[in-house]
Amino acid sequence: MPRGAPSTPANAPAAAPDSGLSPVLLTRARLLAAEHAKLSDRLAEAFDAKVAKRAGEIAPVTTVLKEWESANESIAELKSLLEQPETDEELRSLAIEDLESSREALPTISDRLKKSLIPRHPFADLPCLVEIRPGAGGDEAGLFAFEMLRMYTSFCSRRGLRPTILKQDVEDGAAEDRLTEAVIEIEADGAYDIMRTESGVHRVQRVPATETKGRTHTSAVSVMVLPSFPESGSGLDSALNFEDPTSDYYIDPQEVRVEKMRAGGAGGQHVNKTESAIRLTHMPTGTVVSMQDERSQQANRRKAWQILRAKIAEARQEAREQELVQLRRGAMGGVARMGRGDKIRTYNYGQSRCTDHRSGITIHNLDGVLDGGDGLETVMESVRTWMADREVEAMVVEERAEK
Amino acid sequence: MPRIPTATLVRAYQENSLLPLLLKECRSLDSARNELRWLRERALRDSPSSSRLAPGARLGWRTRLRSMCRQRSQGVPLQYILGDQPFGDLEILCRRGVLIPRPETESYTYEAARLVRQMALEGGGNSTDPTSATRPLRILDLCTGTGCIALLLHALLAPHFKHMQIIGIDLSPIALNLARKNLDHNVRREALHRRARADIQFHRADVLGRKASSIPAVEEILSHYALKSGLADISVPAPRIDLLISNPPYISTSDFRNGTTARSVRLFEPRLALVPPVGFMGQDGDRSEDVFYRRILDLSLKVHAQVTVLECGDIMQADRVVEMHRTMTGGSRCNFNVEVWPTTEQDLAAHGFHPQDGSRCVIIHGGRDG
Repeated sequence: MPRGAPSTPANAPAAAPDSGLSPVLLTRARLLAAEHAKLSDRLAEAFDAKVAKRAGEIAPVTTVLKEWESANESIAELKSLLEQPETDEELRSLAIEDLESSREALPTISDRLKKSLIPRHPFADLPCLVEIRPGAGGDEAGLFAFEMLRMYTSFCSRRGLRPTILKQDVEDGAAEDRLTEAVIEIEADGAYDIMRTESGVHRVQRVPATETKGRTHTSAVSVMVLPSFPESGSGLDSALNFEDPTSDYYIDPQEVRVEKMRAGGAGGQHVNKTESAIRLTHMPTGTVVSMQDERSQQANRRKAWQILRAKIAEARQEAREQELVQLRRGAMGGVARMGRGDKIRTYNYGQSRCTDHRSGITIHNLDGVLDGGDGLETVMESVRTWMADREVEAMVVEERAEK
Repeated sequence: MPRIPTATLVRAYQENSLLPLLLKECRSLDSARNELRWLRERALRDSPSSSRLAPGARLGWRTRLRSMCRQRSQGVPLQYILGDQPFGDLEILCRRGVLIPRPETESYTYEAARLVRQMALEGGGNSTDPTSATRPLRILDLCTGTGCIALLLHALLAPHFKHMQIIGIDLSPIALNLARKNLDHNVRREALHRRARADIQFHRADVLGRKASSIPAVEEILSHYALKSGLADISVPAPRIDLLISNPPYISTSDFRNGTTARSVRLFEPRLALVPPVGFMGQDGDRSEDVFYRRILDLSLKVHAQVTVLECGDIMQADRVVEMHRTMTGGSRCNFNVEVWPTTEQDLAAHGFHPQDGSRCVIIHGGRDG
């Protein structure tokens, strides 16, 4: 398959492949390694699920830190060996070779260490829901929303993620390929982490099928990636267990108004209605979810709850992140973070390109992106790297501010 | 029935040529679209994907879909075309000759299960309490039809009760046959626990207890159970029942004909399950559509039912049943707590009931003899 070569634009943030690590990060890594050692000692005495979990989380930092330290040590040793005048020529040439390879390996190790220090997203291990809604642009936005739905379902199928369409609403009177809203469920654990690069506003520039004068239109489709909580929260730790009132993601059922479609006229045996629409309203936030796709009342109810929980959890997480940004803003010199309301990507048909505005990557093979293939994968990967870099930056700023 | 606006028909046609066929029964575009999707999914699912048949057989799904839509436009209920209806988490098979389960009945069944659990939790420690190991929880479902109520109750209550005995009664052999099929079908789908095969029994009996008929009355079936379970007191004609539940025929002959009953129901669903027999002599000037309730209330008193849940056609009928119960118990309401459900604004909205129109059920608590 032909694949557009990703170009690196001038304004892309530098990958910073320096072997040096900021002292702040290094201190943090050492602290975590010390904590890990302590936890391992405790685990040797008696097993504790909580301790084991924490130890497991920070184990990668410890491992990579060890690698980083041993690489630095060997560089120092080799250097001192070269400085000693009694070293013979044969050994000297070997040492030079070793020093070079060690120096080459160091940036990669530093990079891995940086990434291992990034706190995992609280929803990273969860399955997810992807909500697609047309924004500005009328019919054309609805048409493109349908194409995005296809893009993501085939992306998931290619990666063996088994997407299910939970909800697919079409515009009144319009053909089936004009969406008003769709929700895809991706049941695989960790799907949230894979898909979270996609949240935001996607812009399309093209001559719509409905356009008679050949003008290019710009319309927008908004995508939201939401965490999907397993039906029974019992398998999760209490922070994510939505049934636990102390959890951040708990929803008090008292605060949710449940309404089923209620028609007047005769009921019971007199009639035989086949629809079973349900609407949930989370009263404190005004979040509304309605569901009518299934024949089963129970299935509609479950799906509606699943989407409502996902929306509330994402909104609460977003609010928390926003708070952090407010705290950091002073230190970072007013650099705002990309929110879900920001334009994140442009699909330009005329130039057959796809540009992501966060990582700055441009792919010159639009079809390879829209069919959910390698093109899309490349774009998403570049955003993942971009996100990790932002996290590291923020971490450095934060730790400096604390001093 | 109001005419469908031409504009809606045109729009439906432009969207999909099959939609206008469905619009006849669905009356709204949203609902027609849903039905079209369900029918299409089924047509595709039933396609022989493994090509034991000639190549090209897979193309047959379009033809099949069109013929299903035609049937629907003639008023054939969707559930008879698809062959099933979801009921709770169960899949209830539907066949001509047996009433299709309704969403209201589903709500009543959930409410009944909730009450039974609540009762068991409150009555903890009592020797007759059904959570004890010695005495099973006993449920009697009269006019069981597809068996949907009996089966859903098992699905909902089996996790909480070690021993259960659910008896489903119907007059129609077609219904009993289908109810047994549904039991088997849902055990296979693992929507029901395997023990349901032992816990649930379906029997043929005449709920009205007409003397002339050769079919046994409900009491005969129950006394058989009393003997089998070796109850100490054989003089008690029937074992105690924890929950008596029923969705009996309750449509009056006039409501069946005057348009209150939907055409599709009238033409395709069994009259036996909808309209009580004409000419059955009720007592005390009961209306002919209410004759089942007096018999069932009488049974409920005989078996000391702890909870009785009776589906009714509308609020007026529910009120008549409440009044009937009051006179039958001699006005002594102290042992009973009788209510029409749902009544509160919240219950009505949450279960999709209209504030005035549509079905209701009567719930009777109590019947303790001391």
